[in-house]
Amino acid sequence: MTGPLSGLRVVDVSIMAAGPWIGALLGELGAEVIKIEPPAGDGTRWVEPQQRGMGTNYMCLNVNKRGITLDFKKPEDRALALDLTATADIFIQNFRGGVIERLGLGYDAVAARNPRIVYCSVSGFGEAGPLAKEACADFIMQAYSGFARLNGQPGEEVEAFRFTGFIDLATSIVGTEGILAALLARDFTDKGQKIEVSMLQASLEMQLSRIAEMLGSGVPPRPLGSAAANAAPDRAYMALDSEIFVTASTAAEWAGFCEAIEMPSLLQDPRFETNVARVQNREPLDSLVAPIIAKRPAIWWMRAFQRRKVPCALAHNFEQFRYHAQVRDNSMVAVVQTKDWGDVVVGGLPWQFALTPGVVRPPPVPGADTAAVLEELARRRSNVKIEKSA
Amino acid sequence: MTTRQILAGIRVVEAASGLAGPMAGCRLGDLGATVTKVEWGDGDWTRQCPPFLDDGTSTEFFALNRGKRGVRLAEPTAKSQVLRRLVEQADIFITDLDTAALAEMGLDGVDGDPCSWHENLIVLQISALGRNGPLAGMPGSELTAQAMAGYTRYLGSAGSPSTRLGADVAGMSTGIFATQAALAALFARRRVGRGQRVDLSLLNSLVAMKTVHLAAQTDPDTYEGPRVGGAYDPPERGWKTADAPITFAFGGAVGAEGRPGWTQFVEAVGLKRLLDDSRFDKTGRMTTGLGPKARELKGEYESEFVNKPSAELVAQVRKFGGFASAYLSHEELFREPQVQALNAVRQVPQGQQAVRALDFPVRFSISRAELHGDAPGLGQHTDEVVAELGLTKD
Repeated sequence: MTGPLSGLRVVDVSIMAAGPWIGALLGELGAEVIKIEPPAGDGTRWVEPQQRGMGTNYMCLNVNKRGITLDFKKPEDRALALDLTATADIFIQNFRGGVIERLGLGYDAVAARNPRIVYCSVSGFGEAGPLAKEACADFIMQAYSGFARLNGQPGEEVEAFRFTGFIDLATSIVGTEGILAALLARDFTDKGQKIEVSMLQASLEMQLSRIAEMLGSGVPPRPLGSAAANAAPDRAYMALDSEIFVTASTAAEWAGFCEAIEMPSLLQDPRFETNVARVQNREPLDSLVAPIIAKRPAIWWMRAFQRRKVPCALAHNFEQFRYHAQVRDNSMVAVVQTKDWGDVVVGGLPWQFALTPGVVRPPPVPGADTAAVLEELARRRSNVKIEKSA
Repeated sequence: MTTRQILAGIRVVEAASGLAGPMAGCRLGDLGATVTKVEWGDGDWTRQCPPFLDDGTSTEFFALNRGKRGVRLAEPTAKSQVLRRLVEQADIFITDLDTAALAEMGLDGVDGDPCSWHENLIVLQISALGRNGPLAGMPGSELTAQAMAGYTRYLGSAGSPSTRLGADVAGMSTGIFATQAALAALFARRRVGRGQRVDLSLLNSLVAMKTVHLAAQTDPDTYEGPRVGGAYDPPERGWKTADAPITFAFGGAVGAEGRPGWTQFVEAVGLKRLLDDSRFDKTGRMTTGLGPKARELKGEYESEFVNKPSAELVAQVRKFGGFASAYLSHEELFREPQVQALNAVRQVPQGQQAVRALDFPVRFSISRAELHGDAPGLGQHTDEVVAELGLTKD
């Protein structure tokens, strides 16, 4: 068994990022995923940068899929798509509100042919409310949902997380969570259902701890540079040569921290006795700690904190972490080989299943599997006819 | 007819503190599982995280642990009969105990068997840095995971003090991946007849969530555009207006061309001169959103935007088919009719107090998630649970 979902089939008509990575994750979990693209192509193929002419976004967001091209402007292609959904366990779409119904692939139409299908509909702002039909993008939702209001140096107002598509990816992991729940439900009811995931609710979910603080206390969150809102010390300090990132969340870590910086007196200081006190007295704490850390190199502090089991790290760039033994030994990145565009580095599996491990496989060449998939579909149809006549 | 909850009858035991493990336990509880949280000593460290509800419960601890029963053990690991018996009766064990502690409990068998004595058990082992490798077993945090996965390079600017993502993205994404792992392992268990161990880590989650950058930086044809500038791009704060900054795009989701509305938009907002400016393509694709010329030419748009309120500009972009939003504050966000229409926030009890909590993030047409309140006090249900197990306290 190659993954917990092996034997399941996914039809994915989503484009760009917030939908497609759902299909990729389901593929990594072992499902067979068929990506249907319009003849004009998924826009990620042209998003910069490209590698040997193919958008790198397209490659990483469509791993573990077969690729077919259908023209939804043609009734016969829409009919083929509907036929394909009848063979599938899961369907994924992220058209603007109302479009999928016009294409004849709305939930009612698909479920009428295949009541067991789990139908995942991805939107920007949700499927009800005044913005239901608005399109969205990662950076738009970072602005709308307050995600960008959490970032920046103290006193600054907003800063977006640059260009990782983070909310798109967050939407995809929430969507996958919902699909898996609906698959379990199907085991008991023998019925599929529609699930709705929005970039808005996914972005709120990513902010759950900060939003809980606000909903529970009435105090809105604000940017704190590298510092944590809920614990102290928990930030980057400038060492002699570079920054070191260090966290003391527990009483034991705080004791280790004081020992490492050779300031055992802090442990007796009532201003710093508990985490609550340290958060309240963040500034006096930092004014004592920062000059001490500034005296010695970051590596010295790494050893001092590690010996005392205090979480600490240096910042890595791509070149440093892609070859880091910890990243490699846990397969946190994967290198997939493509015929036309060379090797490409993508994220590794986010879960390591001991019994049913998944695998990361290359993205499709757009449309390359059209003939094969449609032939299989035709064979299935004729088998159905033979069964019926028998 | 009441709908059966998806995880009705599923028993979860959670021996995990912080964000990721408790979040998975909480969301599995929303789907109908019974969750027993096991703590020792002072308990989960998020109990000490400010701010607090009226009754003194940490707002964060509440959000991640509502609906669970709480058991406090005298001892943390294999020596505890209570923990062993709880796990014996569980379907899912969520833990941040290290491999040695799990081995001591007989929960670290080989070849995919999580344990030799309970073949149905699903074990979610959550760590900071992964189960294998030279740093296995070392402690880590939200901050150290963000730094190690290169996240701080895409905030702030090179040479300035680092900025973290204010959202606890390592904890939240690992919580979601752990929930997925539990659901997928339950699905597989019905087919292969066995549980299994699944390993997750904060670092692994953030590296997986960086797939767009990993691919972009592998071997790009040119170093043009936003995804290859690394720490040397300026901070991204949108386009200034008369009030809050906005962000907007006339990008294309289909094909290589952009959306058609850009020319009408620039005319409507008094920027007709851009139509004759050769630095601007006529679709807006290169100069809005994440377009490669967007940052360089931001000032040209801002020259008019600063005279107009953000709401008007956002409405104009949307009118002509583009995407836009102002950078909302959280107070503004929760007043938005859109957020209210989604019912994204629910009220749940904590003792006598009603507390607002984020709903399960997915809407089901048939199934339902049901949010519970009442996060457990430290050891609140110890006696009750120990008696149910037919044991005396450790």
